[in-house]
Amino acid sequence: MRIILHDLGEQMNDRFREKCDAILCADGKYAPCQGCFNCWTKHPAECWIKDRLRQVSRVIGQADDLVIVTKNLYGGYSAAVKNVLDRAIGASTPFSTYRGREMHHTLRYGKHGLWKVLVYGDITEAEKKSFRTLAERNRINHGYARCEVQFLRDASEWEGLL
Amino acid sequence: MKTVFINCSPKKRLSASSWFLAIQRMFTGGKQVLVKLRTPADHAKVMEQLTDADAVVFAMPLYVDGIPSHVLGFLEKLERLSRETDLHFRMYAIANNGFIEGRQNEPLMRSLEHFCARSGLTWCGGVGIGGGVMLNVTRILFVVDIAILLLNMVLSAAQGGSLFPRDALWDFTSSALILLYFNLGVVFYLVRMGSAIRRGTGFGKKYTRILIPSFVFILFADIFFTVVSVLKGGVFRGWLARKEPENQ
Repeated sequence: MRIILHDLGEQMNDRFREKCDAILCADGKYAPCQGCFNCWTKHPAECWIKDRLRQVSRVIGQADDLVIVTKNLYGGYSAAVKNVLDRAIGASTPFSTYRGREMHHTLRYGKHGLWKVLVYGDITEAEKKSFRTLAERNRINHGYARCEVQFLRDASEWEGLL
Repeated sequence: MKTVFINCSPKKRLSASSWFLAIQRMFTGGKQVLVKLRTPADHAKVMEQLTDADAVVFAMPLYVDGIPSHVLGFLEKLERLSRETDLHFRMYAIANNGFIEGRQNEPLMRSLEHFCARSGLTWCGGVGIGGGVMLNVTRILFVVDIAILLLNMVLSAAQGGSLFPRDALWDFTSSALILLYFNLGVVFYLVRMGSAIRRGTGFGKKYTRILIPSFVFILFADIFFTVVSVLKGGVFRGWLARKEPENQ
């Protein structure tokens, strides 16, 4: 299953539809993660906040490949995209293990394929380096086999890269 | 010198960030202001405190290898404010994560450094802490230890014994020392960062952790989440199962 998570606006969903199996549009119209861990300890893989992201862990957890299209913000994801990722930690379990010689959580949905990030917007060389580090950390943390990060000069360049 | 301490945890109380800020404030001195940054409703109040700040300490948890999204939204606003006004503070950070390796906070630290570069503020570094949740539990255990000590003192006195029973005092002292030991790495670096804040100098990025072996930490973390999941009922709702999305 291929999932696209993007912050380009609802109007882009139709154009992404033929490129994937599910689309998550990060428009920021939802609450941030409250750090309660209820998606681990109370209602597995489900957020207690009853908005559009209530079941986002269950959607992202199904991904073989996850493609993220995001504006650069300080060498990381935009606030709207990060909000979705923060709310999706229920895709892992509360149990811990070693992965990449570090402590991480075990994976509720097993291993995944490709963690791909397409970054648009103004970005410095130092931020590019940080973004690559961040994406690689995400790959290990979420149990993906591969990671790709590409920097777009313009948001419209995504089409040839999906 | 005015230092503003910003607790960026979304939790209402007893967050790990508040624990580390409490330690940091003990070793910083000068005029201090503590503010919470939980929701957009807090933005104006926090920004008001930053206009005349000399140093600012952001304390936050690591979320998915980076800055929590509610803090990112604030930083975007702060960047605009910094460009429009004469913000001039030096910025320090305390980041903590639930895993044991403090170094896992590195991407968060880098993002804060990039924020400062874009905002024209001075990045002075910070402390990345591993095992933040468990270190936060140690302060709760310390309060429990005090309560047990007081109870023992009252019981001893009521039975005609000493108000300071030796066994109870010894148990309390040994337990407190063990809890302090777990926090020693954190205390060491926060003392040094406090000195850097007072002197107005850079601190660099330092990483530390709860001082126990990682396999012991993982064992305790698993026990902790198992107990909490039993109490909250998650164990009985397909705790570790692959959950399919339901229609919302």
